[in-house]
Amino acid sequence: MTEQATYDEDDIALAGEYVLRLLSAEEVAGFEARLAAEPGLRLLVTEWQEGLSSLADEVEETPPAALWRRIEAAAHGADQAAGQRRGLPLWGWLTGGLAAALVAVAVFFAIDPSPAVAPTHQARIAAEDGSLTVLAALSPEGELHVIRESGGPRPGRALELWLIADGAPAPVSLGVFPEADDFRVPLPEALRAGFTGGTLAISDEPPGGSPTGAPTGDVLAAAPVQTL
Amino acid sequence: MATSEEIEGMIARCALGDRAAFAALYQATSSKLFGICLRILRERSEAEDALQEVYLRVWRKAESYVAGGPSPMAWLSTVTRNLAIDRLRAKAPPADELEDAPELVAKGPTPEQSAVAAGEAARIGACLGELEPDRAGAVRGAYLEGASYTELAGHYGVPLNTMRTWLRRSLIKLKECLER
Repeated sequence: MTEQATYDEDDIALAGEYVLRLLSAEEVAGFEARLAAEPGLRLLVTEWQEGLSSLADEVEETPPAALWRRIEAAAHGADQAAGQRRGLPLWGWLTGGLAAALVAVAVFFAIDPSPAVAPTHQARIAAEDGSLTVLAALSPEGELHVIRESGGPRPGRALELWLIADGAPAPVSLGVFPEADDFRVPLPEALRAGFTGGTLAISDEPPGGSPTGAPTGDVLAAAPVQTL
Repeated sequence: MATSEEIEGMIARCALGDRAAFAALYQATSSKLFGICLRILRERSEAEDALQEVYLRVWRKAESYVAGGPSPMAWLSTVTRNLAIDRLRAKAPPADELEDAPELVAKGPTPEQSAVAAGEAARIGACLGELEPDRAGAVRGAYLEGASYTELAGHYGVPLNTMRTWLRRSLIKLKECLER
């Protein structure tokens, strides 16, 4: 027993209540004022944080895979915005976007629907606020069937579809949406390989698509690809 | 499972803007932190948003982790609990919601089972096992569910002051046990 021995039971309980978040706002303010001045009290708090934290060992749950991509994009996109001009879109992959710049933007052309075949991969790409919903399904022949269920580009803007392959440093453009709300586009095999474990995203771009080969506008919606 | 030193190293490298370290940290710690968010917030989408907030904060404020303070896992758990509880209380659920909520203590292993688990968990589990089941349950409810005194009092059907007295006594016994 060292410094904490100078603290009585009342403080031991108080520090525990503080860590558990059981104190009222007023009590918290009083306690924090003391914390700033009393190293021994800070030690008590640390000991509680330590002692209680293993209680959480029993609640482990793996978060969905798509969440990491969202977090990574938000973290690194925000870095980019902070480091450069304000209002830069939150695309975390932009900084690693050289590879994407090498990929030419293919414009989708609406093709007559072909007979339905069971897809190998699919994704439902929906904006959080429900303003845009797009279904995408990849056929065994490598044809991506895209159905825009609801929503569309902002006035004077275009929608562009991107694939972020698992572990890829940058998104790859799959093309700019045509006016039609249901279209198909053949994909080269190299791109198809990225669908398993990948993520599809739709960004807001100038007419004709991103001029840089990497997303330049807001990410409107993104979703993990399901392998069927 | 990454060691404490490894996690500490990852946090330190996050402070330097090392993205690979950030990814490794997420890999090593997200299951536990997501479990905390989910337990407190109960809804998956809420828990996912909270977990995102946690890691963004860790990424941007990694330098605020002080080596020599709590262990890195205790620090991460504290950040996570605090953010999740902030979200929970900002939602301001009706006081009677707890009545319909799943049992505070039913989920998860019993203190005895926890005690069997390896490492530090054994210690807190064993110490909780020394308390009466209701009182141990209240501590777990406060930690894992982010329950307030009002909610705990409602759950156990005792007056607020009684609840507080119980819990404070439990904490004092627990601390004594943890230091043994």
